[in-house]
Amino acid sequence: MTRRGGITLALCLAAAPVLADSGEEWLERMGDALSNASYVGEFITESTGRTEHLSIVHRVRDGIVSERLVSLSGNGRELVRENDEVVVYLPDQKLAIIERRAGRSDLMGSLPQFTGELSSWYKVDYVGREATIFGPTAVVAVRPLDGYRFGYRLWIDLDSHMPVRSDLSDAAGRVVERLQFTKLAFDRNIPDSAFEPSLDRSKLRWVRQTPQPEEGAPEWRAAKVPPGFRLSVSGMQAVAGTSVPVNHMVYTDGLASVSVFIHVPTPGKTPMHGSGRSGVASAFSTVVDGHQVTVVGEVPPRTLKFFAKGLRPAPGASTMARDRGD
Amino acid sequence: MTDRIKEQLSTFLDGELPEPETALLLKRLERDDELRGALSRYSLIGAVLRGDGDVPAARQVAARVSAAIAREPARVASLLRLPAREALMRSVAGLAVAAGVAFGAVMLVQQVVETRSPDAVGAVIAQAAEPPIVPVSDVAEPEDEAAGSYVTPPATDAPGGLPQAELANYLVAHYGYASPLVRRSVGAGLISAPAGIAPAEGTGEEMRIGQ
Repeated sequence: MTRRGGITLALCLAAAPVLADSGEEWLERMGDALSNASYVGEFITESTGRTEHLSIVHRVRDGIVSERLVSLSGNGRELVRENDEVVVYLPDQKLAIIERRAGRSDLMGSLPQFTGELSSWYKVDYVGREATIFGPTAVVAVRPLDGYRFGYRLWIDLDSHMPVRSDLSDAAGRVVERLQFTKLAFDRNIPDSAFEPSLDRSKLRWVRQTPQPEEGAPEWRAAKVPPGFRLSVSGMQAVAGTSVPVNHMVYTDGLASVSVFIHVPTPGKTPMHGSGRSGVASAFSTVVDGHQVTVVGEVPPRTLKFFAKGLRPAPGASTMARDRGD
Repeated sequence: MTDRIKEQLSTFLDGELPEPETALLLKRLERDDELRGALSRYSLIGAVLRGDGDVPAARQVAARVSAAIAREPARVASLLRLPAREALMRSVAGLAVAAGVAFGAVMLVQQVVETRSPDAVGAVIAQAAEPPIVPVSDVAEPEDEAAGSYVTPPATDAPGGLPQAELANYLVAHYGYASPLVRRSVGAGLISAPAGIAPAEGTGEEMRIGQ
């Protein structure tokens, strides 16, 4: 190499982007942005059967996360969250559902590191640069290594590190849902008033889903779970529509999560059997050993059934249900 | 989507599709998400290629769909062999289709208008060639499905759907644990759910509070 060539190479290296183009590093930057950025925007979600348009206000201030989602479809529905409390306003149903998990910080939105155990279930690849309506982005693929979980393709804005678009896909790479921002503006000074729901709250019926005492609660466990999933949270809580406390267990593979709800069937109410879907989340409900079991999560439906079929009640739980004659 | 359907779409956007074929196309639009998405994108591409990129262009497409539906309810009803009430519902659904088309096209065109960047226009056009979105129920199966052979009490997998009311309640409880990558989607699903989301009357009394 000539001296001139060496200087040229040195200049090129000096001018190279400071940020490395590793998928894991881009995900880390994106995780920081998701945890710390305050912004106002609108986005579209597309899945089979529906396209939804929503506005979002998201603020992180002094470690407190506030967020407000508003459906722009005209039904007036909103979701407002402040740290570990979530309120879903359904004015068309004259209903508000409050979900509060005292002392928990799951809602902060931090992304896991895609190393160690998680790398056994997902493969992270930097795909390349791609233009979007917000400018150039780094495209990162998080591919599931089996069919028990979904994968992601993320378009990460080079400046803000926010995911301006994400495609949820199955193990075969087929897109299941697409979320795309159409407007996005960063604002460090979002006022509290931005998180006030724009509806008359006095006319709503309020339903609170709170943690419940665990004394005497039947114990259940999943004797066999899909590869990579482990129990992360277990407790009793109230769930609207049920007259008894519900055993709520959460399993995660480090990224995807599955909630398992178990309760004694409500007297006089026909047990539920079947599947449901809401956006990317699916649900599967059935009866196991006389108990109503409902499994919910952002995973393929077969994964939910795997959980339901692997549940085993503790002897006390089975006895309780049988004593009731269910 | 077949080449013939694509041709029909293109002809429809040019305002030259014969009325009988328009009725059939509208019927297909009501049930075919891929087709609705394609209509939005094709209309946008047309606007972009013409260099106008204006929102009225997209709205014009939606208006064309609405007008066609307004002209066609009887024909659609006869094609579908539906009673009058159902035919009315169909036409309402048709208007929803038009709204959806308008929404998709307007949103995409707005993006172009707001940015006016050659890269952005290219990005939007590129979206038209993207693969369709598949239903969650059709996702790839795990290769080592072993749950069926497990010996714990078998779960009953009866046909039928989980009522939306119950689904919503459980989703609210799950929301806080959803992956940060999909939490917005889960929230969007919650507040976009169809009617009937309220808990069943007569249950859960002890959890109700007054505020």
